[in-house]
Amino acid sequence: MNHEWTFDDQEAFVEKLNELVQDGCTEDDLEIITPFPVHGLEETLKERPSFLKFFSLAGSLAGLLAGFAFTIYTVLSWPLITGGKPLISITAFVVIAFELTILIGAITTFIGFLILGRFPSLPGILQPRESGNRFIIIDRRRASA
Amino acid sequence: MNRKAYYDQVETDVMAAVSRPSRFYFLALLVSASMFALGMACWGYQLLTGLGVAGIRNPVGWGVYITDFVFWVGIAHSGTLISAVLFIFRARFRSSFNRSAEAMTLIAVMTAGLFPLIHLGRAWRFYYLLPYPNQRLLWVNFRSPLIWDVFAVSTYFTVSLIFFYVGLIPDLAAARRHLKGIFKWVYRVLSLGWQGTQKQWKHYNQLYLFLAAFATPLVISVHSVVSWDFAMSIVPGWHTTIFAPYFVAGAIYSGTAMVFTLVIPMRKILGLEKYITVDHFEKLAKVMLFTSLIVTYAYVIEIVLAFYSGNIFETTHFSYRMAGDYWPLWAMMILCNSILPMTVFVKSLRRNLIYLFILSLFVNVGMWLERFVIIVTALSKDYDPYSWGTYRPSLVEAGITVGSFGLFFTLFLVFVKVLPVLSITEVKEQAHES
Repeated sequence: MNHEWTFDDQEAFVEKLNELVQDGCTEDDLEIITPFPVHGLEETLKERPSFLKFFSLAGSLAGLLAGFAFTIYTVLSWPLITGGKPLISITAFVVIAFELTILIGAITTFIGFLILGRFPSLPGILQPRESGNRFIIIDRRRASA
Repeated sequence: MNRKAYYDQVETDVMAAVSRPSRFYFLALLVSASMFALGMACWGYQLLTGLGVAGIRNPVGWGVYITDFVFWVGIAHSGTLISAVLFIFRARFRSSFNRSAEAMTLIAVMTAGLFPLIHLGRAWRFYYLLPYPNQRLLWVNFRSPLIWDVFAVSTYFTVSLIFFYVGLIPDLAAARRHLKGIFKWVYRVLSLGWQGTQKQWKHYNQLYLFLAAFATPLVISVHSVVSWDFAMSIVPGWHTTIFAPYFVAGAIYSGTAMVFTLVIPMRKILGLEKYITVDHFEKLAKVMLFTSLIVTYAYVIEIVLAFYSGNIFETTHFSYRMAGDYWPLWAMMILCNSILPMTVFVKSLRRNLIYLFILSLFVNVGMWLERFVIIVTALSKDYDPYSWGTYRPSLVEAGITVGSFGLFFTLFLVFVKVLPVLSITEVKEQAHES
């Protein structure tokens, strides 16, 4: 039985995919390859949302805390008053904390992407499967059966 | 033409642009590389002789080097605006410019990053800026805007680099089958083995959205911090609360102009007229016009508030800026930044690429002068008449400035020949939507 379909056209691909989902295929049964992100597939497949946002949240919070902890720790470790300002000048430290929130948040999100997407993928680098701008659906259940 | 053939065509067109250097390209590379070499020679001379070869003296301790720093950081900003902010607002025309604008961002930040080191004089002491406990266990002063700048600019560079690279991943994967030899392997490794499966796209879409969401507040914060290098001091002409929005608008304005300067010739030389259309340029011209109006508004507000305050130091400063030693530069700045861009209100002019290109050169000059005028006029005459003085850039400073343009154009020319200059994936995606 056929377990792999190739399309040149997005419409035909989406139609076939709808059909398969109607037949009870889920996200995990199908391997889908597209040349660009096709909008609406998330709804069609009823996909689980990506876990990536938790990486962003954790990274940003860590950056925020690190920014304040670092600045406060350093002024207390060598108390030196400059400009007549209080040692713990929160307003000034907000800038450092803000930048670190974004820096560590962005880096963690990228690392999260590498982990979740299993990158770098060695087979993908050594012998990439070139789909050549086609839309491909592979039904893993039938492929393994 | 069916869709798949069109997608293949996009890849072929973009990759053809990447692989075929013309004689004109080599000429351009030669000119910019020579400019860069001149700049390095001047810097070498300054390192060997001492900072005295630059024109900066008391009271004007910040001159062309700091002007160049602010100018290049400003140029960087529209790259992030075009890629991140326009992505969040779903402005379709961004996909014609986003790759080259992001490359421009990275290159401009690298160029800008050299200037604090050049300005230090003893460039090898740059590590004093970094937060580490030195031998007396003394840390950097986190209340200083200059330290904020270190954090802001290095964060900006890192996040822009990640954003640029992430945007490249699917394109490198699409392009790798068109290449041969070492390039094929470099593209394969850099694309991390991307296959374009639905699972990969799911995480990728989230990643791109989050990075855009991180980059948007970042771009505003970075130039705000740069403006605070000035505004946190009590020098008349610098010490004002409008500096942050004023600088951010100015940065996006100058960066948009630089996109015109770079992309109009690039499109012509690489034959990308089909993908970067006049409509796209017209939309970008509107962004430039809009930011020009904000900048003009800031110029007016600055002057009005100075005279409204009645503060003698403020009024003296602004009278000096408009009618003192540097008035021709101020007048030129107003002409380039506020008056000439008004012509973009005329539809036939904003659809004329040659006109836009020439206008963008004027805006680049005007925005460089803006930073020069702000920095130098404020320092020339502050409170005490005893310490007044004027500043004139030396040849070494001029040479290093020319060199920074050389570095910028050299790196951009290298970029257009090694990486896809258009976002292949997004062009394909939009072919379907339109």
